[in-house]
Amino acid sequence: MSDTLSTISPHDLRGQRQVDALLMQEGIRRDGNLDYTCGLFNEDWKLIATGSCFGNTIRCLAVEREHQGEGLLNQVVSHLMEVQAQRGNTHLFLYTKPETVRFFRDLGFYEIARVENSLVFLENRRRGFSDYCAALKQTCREGASAAVVMNANPFTLGHLHLVESAAKAHEMVHLFILSEEAGPIPASVRRRLVLDGVAHLPNVVCHDSGPYIISGATFPSYFLKDEDTVIRAHAALDLEIFGKIAPCLNIRYRYVGEERSSRVTALYNQEMIRRLPSLGIQCRVIPRLEYGGQPVSASTVRSLIHDGHLQEIRPLVPKTTWDYFTSLEARPVIDAIRACEDVVHY
Amino acid sequence: MEILKPAIAGTLESSDAQVTIEPGKAGIELTLTSSVMNQYGRQIRATILEALERLDVSNARVTVVDKGALDCTLKARVECAVFRSCGQSAANIPWGGVVR
Repeated sequence: MSDTLSTISPHDLRGQRQVDALLMQEGIRRDGNLDYTCGLFNEDWKLIATGSCFGNTIRCLAVEREHQGEGLLNQVVSHLMEVQAQRGNTHLFLYTKPETVRFFRDLGFYEIARVENSLVFLENRRRGFSDYCAALKQTCREGASAAVVMNANPFTLGHLHLVESAAKAHEMVHLFILSEEAGPIPASVRRRLVLDGVAHLPNVVCHDSGPYIISGATFPSYFLKDEDTVIRAHAALDLEIFGKIAPCLNIRYRYVGEERSSRVTALYNQEMIRRLPSLGIQCRVIPRLEYGGQPVSASTVRSLIHDGHLQEIRPLVPKTTWDYFTSLEARPVIDAIRACEDVVHY
Repeated sequence: MEILKPAIAGTLESSDAQVTIEPGKAGIELTLTSSVMNQYGRQIRATILEALERLDVSNARVTVVDKGALDCTLKARVECAVFRSCGQSAANIPWGGVVR
């Protein structure tokens, strides 16, 4: 045994080519976004096993067919978990094909959800997902409720319109705010602007989406560009998990804003319309609020701030959001938005 | 000993065990997965708890994925994870004291 476990840098073209070949041979699609890749090489420096990380996930794992059953996967996963521990991540997520789930169960991973015949999503906490659901359940009240999931980047009158539509029609609305840090506006600010913006609606309860709804783990292509088929697969998984969260809160309706400009959100909406009914949830698409003939969107607000037209966001956002952006506290955030190259969601 | 930050020790390879330790509030919360659970589950659990007690760890979330490690290996992995979690792994290991 003189196999060598080694990091494969993005610039190691020979190594990367071998990774591509091994993944293809084992029928695994390489993810577009990886931030760490390692490989196990044999004496002839031939790649016999590989694995990668992205954020708090482990992915793109493969073992060369002739070397399966030698425990190589365990070595690769051990190494990737150490890498993750150094980054400070101990709660990890992993995707795999349904036929290989058993290997990961033996490595201390537990199944959260699966999309039939294509992938299974696991985490390394036995009670990670059930604890999350139990915490949500404490806010549950009797009767059917509606759910809204939003990034609110930042909270606009469009978002408010969507929440108000749901709040008018249902006794209880559960509003999930994405927890993932993505882009120049910090999650804590996004969250606060939503809380302040819906404070006048007594039947709206806000939740952090955590790692289980549109996060870097369940839906990486929401945040980073990828192909349509990948977006659809991620959306399917995300909705599968949502289907498990919904019963905890008696969620029977999900409200979404109609989407015309963002490709990824439009695809996500399509998947929701297609998949939610089979999970016992009705999908209600609410037409966008318009101002001056244009749909009100957070992308527009960010673009206006980016281009230095802060005054022009005033008719597009609630007073609470406007007050924030005109406060001293928002200066660094505005500077960060202005420094971004691209502020429009793809 | 107080668990200050998450730490990990050991591997998932055969005859080893991977120990993850994180700060906790409600005593020792041990999650054990073992390839020899049916044969040695109870003894493995006892060995882990004993090692933690010896190090005076009373509040922690401990996750152990055991791959058939011997007791001495388990003990060493638990000790290593605990010392790493309080930043003591480079020096000040009480050899011959609580570690023996």
